Amino acid sequence: MKLRLARLWRIAATGISFATFGAAGLVCGSVVLPIVRAWPGTEPERDFRCQYAVRRFFRAFVRMVEALGLMKVAVHGAERLQEPGQLVVANHPTLLDAVFVMSVMPRADCVVKSAVTTNPFMRSVARCAGYLSNDLEGELVDACVSRLRSGRSLLLFPEGTRSPRGALGPFQRGAAHIAFRSGRPFRPVVIRCDPPGLMRGQKWYDVADRSLEISIECCDLIYVEDAPAPGRGRGAAARRATAELRDFFGKRLQTPEG
Amino acid sequence: MASRDEIFGWVVDVLREEFDFTSEALAMDTHLIDDLDLDSIDAIDMTVRLEELSDISFSDSDLKSMRTIRDVVDLIDGRR
Repeated sequence: MKLRLARLWRIAATGISFATFGAAGLVCGSVVLPIVRAWPGTEPERDFRCQYAVRRFFRAFVRMVEALGLMKVAVHGAERLQEPGQLVVANHPTLLDAVFVMSVMPRADCVVKSAVTTNPFMRSVARCAGYLSNDLEGELVDACVSRLRSGRSLLLFPEGTRSPRGALGPFQRGAAHIAFRSGRPFRPVVIRCDPPGLMRGQKWYDVADRSLEISIECCDLIYVEDAPAPGRGRGAAARRATAELRDFFGKRLQTPEG
Repeated sequence: MASRDEIFGWVVDVLREEFDFTSEALAMDTHLIDDLDLDSIDAIDMTVRLEELSDISFSDSDLKSMRTIRDVVDLIDGRR
């Protein structure tokens, strides 16, 4: 009986959290961020101000879901994300991974699915904060490289979508190409969720039997080899770097320690 | 003027040098995405080399129309 009540509470609290996130996204994107953005400054300064506001918004949301007993979020090595100009790559087990990671990054550019740029609750937030849509195709790599070279940090999920349950999805090679062209190493962030929750295809009311324990592990840098020129082996180098990166995540996820 | 066999040879050489594929894995009907797992960035890198060899330029729509090695050979052969 007690367990059933606890589960019912988590379903209600999850609904409240999603509703709050959507409402806050609407208010933030349609009122707060446009005002923050309208304040005088260069384009990067406006982006940074909005990204700082988004960080505060995400951090408040994480505190709220923790206070509601839905999850506990433990961040290990957050100081590693404070340096600007980092190429941050993370696995993607849950719906809220970007929220968890960006809540501890001072400023972060992010590549978002094109669906986010049409989502009524988040599109204004994404636009005001200058996030990049993954439907830019050939221009996306150049845009990411340009931002990294100007000292901005970038968060990428190489799987491109949420991971399958208890596993890693295939990694796309865009992150490796961005690393080659920008000369930036990878900053891997390993995300664990126990028990699994907020997964791809899972209904919001399909909650776990207990609160989620989220571990965000910010790891040491991974340096990539000097890339050959295009047409002279860069494609093979990107495949190797991507395979090594995926292998790193696979091995880290085998270990329970966050 | 290069024959179709020579153009096929260029494409095979580029795919071997750029992506470390073996010659045995590359035939006229080899699918660039399904068989070789080429993505949009790979396609651009491949055409950079082919433009040097064939002295023709590829447009974005050319890249999107390439499905198999035969498509690449046909495209170059048709532009000569």
